[in-house]
Order: sequence, then C-alpha cells, then structure tokens
Amino acid sequence: MVTVQRAIEMLGISSVLITVEPEESAQARPPRALCPRSFVAGHSLGRPNDEALQKWIIMDALELLLADAKPGEVIIRDYT
Amino acid sequence: MEKALELSRYCVPFTPFKRKLEESLICLVSTAGVRARSDPPFNLEGDNSFKRIDGSLSAAELAVDDSHYDHGCIDKDVNCVFPIDRLRSLAREGRIAGLTDQHFSMGFSQALRELRETTVPQLARAVAAARPDAVLLTGG
Repeated sequence: MVTVQRAIEMLGISSVLITVEPEESAQARPPRALCPRSFVAGHSLGRPNDEALQKWIIMDALELLLADAKPGEVIIRDYT
Repeated sequence: MEKALELSRYCVPFTPFKRKLEESLICLVSTAGVRARSDPPFNLEGDNSFKRIDGSLSAAELAVDDSHYDHGCIDKDVNCVFPIDRLRSLAREGRIAGLTDQHFSMGFSQALRELRETTVPQLARAVAAARPDAVLLTGG
C-alpha cells in the first residue's frame, strides 16, 4: 500500500494512508499515515455503520495533510 | 548509459498540501480488493490488475474480493475499508469539496516485482488523471 502512496506523491499529489499495520507501513516509509490503534484488517475505519466514527477517522487522516510534516512516520491514535 | 537512479526506501517522497480541505476533491485508493458489483471479481489466487470504481456508486453497490482478513464487518458495510459514502457525507457538510469521478482498488498479489514495475506506476498515473487534490489510501 505504501508503495502505491509513494508513487502517487512522486507525481505531485498529496496523500494520506489509513493503516492497521503500523510497523509494516512505517518500514515502507509513508509520506503521511494514520493508524487507529488496535484496529485490524477488515475494518480500518471502525465499526460497520458507525458513520460518526468513520468520518472522525477520515477527517483526522485528511487533517494530517494540514499538519506539520512527519514524512516516514505513522501517527497512532486511539478511537475507543 | 548509466541506469536511472532509483529512490532509496529511506527517502520519503512528499508533496506539500497547499489547499483547504473544503476546496479539495478526494480520490480513494485501496488495496482491499474493492470493485463495483457489476465488474468481474479479482482473482483471489493473485491478481496484478487494478480496478476503477465510479465515483457515483454507493458502498452498497460495491463488493470486496479477498481471502486474507475477516469479512464480518465489510459484509455489513463496505465503508469499513472503502469509505465512499462517508466522504460523500463530508462533502454534503462542506468539509471537503467532493470526490473525484473515479476511485481505484487493487487486489491481492505476491508478484511483487510486476506490481512495483508495472501495476503501481500505471495505477499512480490513472490516479493522477482523475485530478484529485488529495488521495486517501486504505489497506484492508
């Protein structure tokens, strides 16, 4: 996934990744990445039909576009 | 002639974001094996293609082809891995400008060299052609 993200950034497009595998993602050095702590593959945006939680995570991810740059790091946050 | 330099994995490509989110079109890109229900499925044994997902589709019109994680959640709500309805809702609220006309997903593959050399560059160009202001990527 990070390989795709890095290719997109190389074409001059800003991006942010939501990952549930922070160690693996950090090794691949993502331009910007958010990890909801303890979420697992299959619901990286949280519980099904929990619109408020899913939108909260999306906005947190998109707001990393506006935050101080930490290229290569995965930002881990709690959503429980 | 010498071979072109390759980006070291220690080097992080980074495009500064200069816009406001409220003025930005967002493109979704996933590796979760998402597709329109009307499209043929990804090959679960390994698939190096990517699929385009029309921006007008809702999560209920999408399917996920994958055999590597628990599908209990996405069977109820594809937004769990591909939040297309949620982005549309954020657009209605004015928090983003909208979605691009196309979104993208890859499936599962272990042919890493072909992915790196062919699929990923093609996908990145297709994403650029959709003219997003920013891209939101999701794994599973």
